[in-house]
This record gives sequence, structure tokens and C-alpha cells, in this order.
Amino acid sequence: MDNHKLPISKINQLFKNKELKPSELYSEVFERAANTESVIHGHLTLFQEENIQKALDADKRYEKGNNIGTLDGIPIAIKDNINISGHATTCSSKMLSNYISPYDATVITRLKNEGVLFTGKTNLDEFAMGSSTENSAYGPTKNPWDSSRVPGGSSGGSAAVVSAGSAVASLGSDTGGSIRQPASFCGVVGFKPTYGTVSRYGLVAFASSLDQIGPITNNVADAKLIFNSMNGHDPLDATSLTESKAQQPKLKNAKIGIIKELMGDGISEDAQQEVHKVAKLMESEGHEVVEVSLPLTKMSISIYYLIAPAECSANLSRFDGVRYGNRVTGNTSSEMMELTRANGFGPEVKKRILLGTYALSAGYYDAYYGQALKARAMMKKEFTDIYNDVDYLISPTTPSDPFKFGEKTDNQLEMYMSDLCTIPANLVGMPAISIPTGLSSQGLPLSVQLMSPANTDNTLLDFSQSLESLVAFSDKPAINGVTN
Amino acid sequence: MADKIDIENVAKLASLKLNEEEKQHLEKDLSMIIDHFAALSEMDLPDDKISIHPLGMHLNLAEDIASKFLTHEQALSNAPESKDGQFVVPPSLD
Amino acid sequence: MSIIPTIGMETHVELKTNSKMFCRCHVLDTDIPNESLCPTCLGLPGSLPVPNKKAIEFITLLALSTNCSITNDGMFHRKNYFYPDLPKNYQISQFDLPVGTEGSLEVVVDGEFGTVEIERVHMEEDTGKSTHMGSGRIDSATSTHLDFNRAGIPLVEVVTKPLIKSSREAVAYIEELRQLVIDLGISEGKLEKGNLRFDANISVAHDGDKELGTKVEIKNMNSLRSLEKAIEYEISRQTKMLLNEENIIQETRHWDEKKEVTTSMRSKEGSADYRYFSDPDIPNMILSDDFVNEVKSSIPVLPSQKRTVFIDSGLSIEDANNLVKSPNWIGDLYKIVSSITNDSKTSFNWITGELQGQLRKLELKSIPSWLTAKNLSEIITLVKENKISFTSGKEILGKLIEEELVPEEYAVNNKLIQENDIDEISKMVKDVLDDNKDVLERISNGEDKLIGFLVGQIIKLSKGKVNPSVAKELLLKELNS
Repeated sequence: MDNHKLPISKINQLFKNKELKPSELYSEVFERAANTESVIHGHLTLFQEENIQKALDADKRYEKGNNIGTLDGIPIAIKDNINISGHATTCSSKMLSNYISPYDATVITRLKNEGVLFTGKTNLDEFAMGSSTENSAYGPTKNPWDSSRVPGGSSGGSAAVVSAGSAVASLGSDTGGSIRQPASFCGVVGFKPTYGTVSRYGLVAFASSLDQIGPITNNVADAKLIFNSMNGHDPLDATSLTESKAQQPKLKNAKIGIIKELMGDGISEDAQQEVHKVAKLMESEGHEVVEVSLPLTKMSISIYYLIAPAECSANLSRFDGVRYGNRVTGNTSSEMMELTRANGFGPEVKKRILLGTYALSAGYYDAYYGQALKARAMMKKEFTDIYNDVDYLISPTTPSDPFKFGEKTDNQLEMYMSDLCTIPANLVGMPAISIPTGLSSQGLPLSVQLMSPANTDNTLLDFSQSLESLVAFSDKPAINGVTN
Repeated sequence: MADKIDIENVAKLASLKLNEEEKQHLEKDLSMIIDHFAALSEMDLPDDKISIHPLGMHLNLAEDIASKFLTHEQALSNAPESKDGQFVVPPSLD
Repeated sequence: MSIIPTIGMETHVELKTNSKMFCRCHVLDTDIPNESLCPTCLGLPGSLPVPNKKAIEFITLLALSTNCSITNDGMFHRKNYFYPDLPKNYQISQFDLPVGTEGSLEVVVDGEFGTVEIERVHMEEDTGKSTHMGSGRIDSATSTHLDFNRAGIPLVEVVTKPLIKSSREAVAYIEELRQLVIDLGISEGKLEKGNLRFDANISVAHDGDKELGTKVEIKNMNSLRSLEKAIEYEISRQTKMLLNEENIIQETRHWDEKKEVTTSMRSKEGSADYRYFSDPDIPNMILSDDFVNEVKSSIPVLPSQKRTVFIDSGLSIEDANNLVKSPNWIGDLYKIVSSITNDSKTSFNWITGELQGQLRKLELKSIPSWLTAKNLSEIITLVKENKISFTSGKEILGKLIEEELVPEEYAVNNKLIQENDIDEISKMVKDVLDDNKDVLERISNGEDKLIGFLVGQIIKLSKGKVNPSVAKELLLKELNS
């Protein structure tokens, strides 16, 4: 049964027309999980028991004709750094293996109010730090297209389960590309909204000024639907926007800029080809495509790898074994904290904490962190200026197609480079979406990334939707010999 | 290129106990990353006051209305050790 | 070559808002531990801070009342250090853009005016409470218990410039600051409840040295008495070391109340690296001119202003300061009584001496409703006019505290009205002298002490009605003639 691959609005129609029941869809999705999880390992936990009842409740609502909305009864997977009350939030770390959250993230409350069924929690790079999900303390997730390859990260689990069909959609979090890059690697859609449009309350913080929650879906329409049911001001998040007025880019006869700096060195031929292919399609639709230059994007990795670790070094200080977490005791409390953290954190997390601590320490602040903040402000100006000339920006989402397990683990800088194309949008706080457009010469998914100014999210989504129909890429991976 | 990183001091600040092997690896890895930052740290950038937030958002202060959130039991539910309603840790010398 | 001490005070003021600084948990005064918590103040993963508007109003009120410049475009910073009672292992505080800077506070030290200069006033959050279990000594505890009810309560930190010159000045400063926060209505100001906590930074240097000496921080002074003693001890300790050319280490020391010494806290030598950076969870805090002006317009009468009024009414600086530091009803009572009796000093003495003394003995915190300024003034006037003795006045006051009465009526009914008639008293003087010729002889031989005995005899003769000082005066006149 393929209902789980249909657009959510279509599924909702089937529900309303009584051609399909939420409990039937849930069974379908759960069966997909049963067939694929042993290979993929996308979910860390499945909420099967509670969902049986919840699906039946949704059945009743549709039967009576008073379903809550379009998302009522839709199974969505949740990245395991987003809190759901009564369930574990492990962040794929040993540190939190026994942590049960007593509260819901705001996005969860909002989706719960829509009648969404949470399939379970998905795997990630520990504390969202990584680009391959190889940094999970619970084992990696495999790419549904090729199980010898990474699904991307840090939202590898969330992207893989949508690709594999064990959820209709999922939520991920994006700090430097952690929604878009795995979406690209798994051949699905990934959207990172404007910073501040989706509440971070309940998202375990990695880098507070960069993190955003966003949807990973089979198509752009689903992303738009889920985004609009989660967004909006949250009084529990001081960085949550109250106003979102902005001049909207054009939907017809738009001008799109190809970012020169993201089309050269370090970007594979295949990836560049996709951008050119899409550019031609856009031109055939009456849009104008030009080349633009954003010189500061070359500094993105440096800026990001100063700001993010600095913020995360403080955000992860709370994990000390005092009030929760896997405690390793000691003779004194400070010894206990040091041992608990040494034991609970994996190597990449430790590295970034130390890097951040160093960048903020006495004598180094100005040269490193202080500089990064200044450069970031300049980069924002560069982007704002360029949007006076163009409506959208386009680039590959990732420098290449999905790499093999272990291929980049020994070379940290190369691993960090996988975020080259995605990091800028986080640094400047603007929305960005990744859309699958084709296959590489190795038969693996490739995507392009579209970006637009702050607070133009729905316009970007609409524009991307029209692009998606143009591209008409609908390949799906086969897993366990079962077509998806 | 940059000063040698005093990894022990940094680990102490971060409350992380590292073994010898880790210290060596991390010192090497961090030095490599810091060297990569050289170009950035040498850039001549204007000294205007910058906001940490990309969008320079407006701060909405909250009204001083109190409400209960966690029950006493919920607050202690994940405590590795507790006694008489308090969290227990090894002695913390001032 | 004299040694000059320099003191700087860091004071934390607990604000009495309804909810905590960065979350809406109740600010509770409870014995039940861990009762008022949420993901934010407990430091759970995924929680976020949202600053409390009332707390910002309160700190702005304090900053304006201490003549500070207000930072219109400020921010919160993270102060990073690890300690079990700090849920996030960073404290949200303010670093280089505090709400208030460059202020001052008028203080009264030993009856004279002084000014304490304030460097900054900034906003931060409180930590949880640690209780060390075990033998009771700080370095032999077996475990530590933690209660996070207090974590996240709004704290205002007031830092003075290192320009305080004596322990008495430091104490006067804390007393003034305490009264200010009480009068502003932003804090209960109770030292014993920890509403106001202070640390002292002390250094010594040779007179004439351009630079200050090494700064030592002293913690754990829980009362004004211990503050004074601790500063004195530390100045003495550092002075000795300086004279012996010993190296003073920059460190944090602990005041030991029992032993009355400061002791080294080995783990806190040198200065910590807090790695301050602006908190990415909280956008810049813009305090508009409108906001500041609104707060300004709500500033109530300040202690210094009250003191001026009292001084203008005729009191000394010391006495005026005493009233300012007393509960409001005392100052209010004084104002009316002094204007009725037209005698500020006498009114002051009666209220702060007799009245407060009697209330204290009876363990009463305030006067009954029938004890008005009017009838207190009546008692005072009766005494002033010599119609009753001071002792009788005290007696009437005591009765008035117990029950409603009219002082003059009471005096008459209880035969307390003094004999003041000069002729009458002169007669009695003569009578006593006649009856005590032998005593008179001894007095003329130099035994002046016996004058008191004669006065006593006159009082006895008058059945207690004579005004003793008038009697004595007339007796002396008679003796000298």
C-alpha cells in the first residue's frame, strides 16, 4: 500500500471520503517500520502502543465528520532532540539514555492539537553535532538508497524514515544544514524556516542563534502544511518573532541568482549539473537566472565553527549528572561532573565543547568569537543587499551525493565542508529549502537548495512547489527488496 | 601557527575529564581547526556594535504572572540521587 | 607611613516579584524543597529563558534612585562556571552593558554625610540552595543536598567603586541600600532571610601609592555585625602582611563567624575565567525613554529625602537617619508629634527611646490605634511643662499602650500632677531643713552627697508630687544663702 507516499492533503481527502482510515494508514506505516527499521535504524523508539488508541480516536473523528484539520491522523516522526512529555529525549547520547521528559516542546503541543500521531523518536548525530548520523551513541542510521552510505546528519533518522516510508513526514532541526543535507542525501524535501518563526522551546539547544525546527517531507506541499501548523509567536521563546512583515519575492518572472562561490571548488560535477538543469527549467518558465557573488560565503565554515561550538559549549554545560542524566559518581561534586561528562559525551561533542570553550576563553574572545560575530553581521548585509537584485538564490544543497560510512570520519575538515552550502542560511537567519531533483552518476539522490529573504517562507515554499512540478523527480529507494 | 592550546586548562574550564590519548588527539584536532580560522581572525572588520541575533529581534518581556509547572515529583523524576525531596550530589566544596 | 584600606561592596538584592526572573514559577517562601520548578529554572534540556518585565521595572527604579545612567540598549550575558546549585552551569547575568552605571548613594557615617559611589547595577538570576551534610564542617561533608526553589529568582547586583574607606562606612552603606530597596517596594530587605546578601572586596596600600593593593574577596557575612568585624579583621590581616612585606594573594576568603577570622578557600585563588558572551536566547533589551520616564515618575519618597525633611524639622543628621531606618509609622508619628509639641528633639527621644523601648519589652511591633500622635504629644507636653515628672510620663505612656485613656485626666485622677508652686516648695524646703539640722551641718562640712538625701526628703514630704528638679534648685538656693 502506498498511501504513506501521497501528499498529506490527498490522504486527508481519503480520510474525509472514508476511503481510508487513520488506523489503516498507521498500520501501513508501522508495517513499513517493521520491514525497514532493521536495515535503516531510523527510529530510536516507536510509540506503537499509544498510537493504536490515538489512531482509533482519529478514526472516530473522521467518522463523525469532525476531524481537527488536515493533519489529523497523520503519522509524523520526531527527531530525538525534541521533547515529548512522558517519553525519552536521548539526543542520541549516552548522557541522556535514561532521561524521560516531563514536558512537551511547543511544536509538539501545536501538532498534538492538530491530531498528529507521533510514530516515535528518530536517530541523530549526538546532540545534533554532525553531518552523517555516524556520531549517534546508538549506532548509525543507514541511507535507504544504499545502506553502505550515510543518510546525512544531524537529522539522518528523520530524513531516512520519510524516505523509507515508516513515517509520512518528520520533524528535524537545522543548525548548519541538519535538515537540508540529510533530506538531500535521502532524496526527500527538507525545509529550514526563517529564524524565529518556529518556536525553539523544547528543542534541546545546540547553537541557540542558529537552531530551527523544520519539516522533512515527501513533497513541498506537505512541508508548507506542517510549517504553517507549527509556526507563530511563542511567549516561551524570547527569540520567537512577533512580526513577520517583509517584501515578498515574485512568483512569476522571478530573478534567481546562482551563488558563484558555491559552484566551484569542492562542489562535485553532478551537484553543479543539477543546478544548471534546474536553471534551464526555470528559464523555460519565464524566470531569469543570473550568476551572483557572495564573497563572504567562503568564510562560512570558519564563522560557523566558531559561533556554533561557542554557543553549544554553554548550552551543554547543564549536562552534569546533578538533576538528571547518566551520573558517574566521584568524591566531590566537581569530580562527579567531570566524570559524568567524560563518560556521557561522544568524541565529536567533546571536541566542539572544547573548541567553543577555547574560543570564548580569556585572551581569545576578540580574535575568534568576536571576529566571527562581526563577519556574520557583514554576511547578513551581503545577503540583504543581494536580495535587492534577485528574488531567490539557488545552489546545490550538498557538495556531493551521499558518502560512504567512515569515508569522512578521519578528516574533520572534510566532514565540516559538507555543510558549505547550507551554513550560510543559518548564519543569516533566512529560510532555505532542499528539493530532490535527480540522481547522481552513482544513482544516488541529488538536490538543489533555494533561499529567499527573511520572512518570505510561504512564498519560498510556493515557488519551490512550482519548481518541484517542473522537475518532476519522484524516484524512491527500494529497501529489503520492497519497493517504497 | 597560533599559540599551543593548553588543552588541560580548556578541559578544566569545560568540566571534562580527558585521558592522555584524548588530550593528544584533541589538541591536534583543535589546532588544525584553529589554524583554519587564521584567515578569519586576520580580517579587518568594522567595530560597530553587533547583535548576536541574525535578525536583530525585539525582546518581549513577560508579564509577572506566576503559575505552577512541574510537580515536586516531576522535578525529581530524573534525579540520579535524591533524599527528603532534595537532589543529592557528592560534597561540593565551596 | 600609614596603611590605607580600600573597600568595595558587592550586594545582591532579591526582588519581590511574583514570578522568577526567566520563567513564571512562583517566587515561594516555603519549606518544601523543589516545589516551584519548571524546565527553565531546573535547567532541563530544551528550556528557554524569557525575562520578567516587573523585575526590569524594579531594577530600573533602583538604578534611577541611585542616580545611575540607564543603558537604553543593553543585553544579557552568560557567566559560565560549573557548580551543582547552578542548573545550567551558567548564570544569566549582565557583563558590559548593565542596566545602570555611574551612580551614587548618600549615606550617614557616625552622624556625618558621605557619598558612596556606585559603579554598576545589573540584573541576574539566583542559584539554588546547597546544604552540606555530614559533620558540619565545610571540608568534611559527606554529601550535598540541593533545593532549586530559589534558582532563577531575580537578583539585582549593586557594585560600588572601590572607594569605601572604613568598615563603618561599609555598614552605613548597606543600611542605606537596604532601606532604599524597602522604600522602593522592590525587596523585603531582610538580611536574615537572605533578601540582601553582600561580599566585601578589601585591599590595603601605603598612603600615597597610586595603585590599589591586591584585592581579596570576603564572603559569608550574614549580618551587619559580621560585616563590620570581618572587614576589621581582614584589614588588620592584610596590614600586618603588608608591613612584613609578605605577598597578599588575590583570593576569596570565608568569614568564620565562630572563630571571627577569615580563612582561605583554597579552590578560589586567582580570578576565574567566566567566558562571558551575550546570551543568544535573549535579544537585546531596549529600554525606551518612555519606559524609563514612566518608571521615573513612579519613584516614591526616597530615604535621603525623608532624612532631609527630618533634619529640616530640627533633628541632627544622626537622629534623622535613625528615623529613616525605622519603620514608616515611627517617622510618620514623629512628624505629627514634633509639630504639635514644637520640640523635635524631645519628640524624637520620647518616640525612639521611651515608646520603642516599652514596645520592645512587651514584644509589640506597633502601637494600638488609640495611641495617637495627639495623646502622645499631650504626655510630652505635660512633662515639658513640669506638670508631671518624667517618671509619671513614662507610667502614663505604659498605661496608654495597654488601654485607651486621656493623659491629663489620668494624671489628675492618679494624683500625678506635680507641685510646681515655688512658694509651696520653698515651705517644704524650709521644713525639711528644720527637721534635718544634723544633715545640714554635715553638708556644710563638704558632704555634698547628702543633698540628694534632702531632696528625697522633700519629695517624701510632698508625697511624690513635687518636681524634683525644682525642689533641688530651691534647696541649693537655700543652702547657698
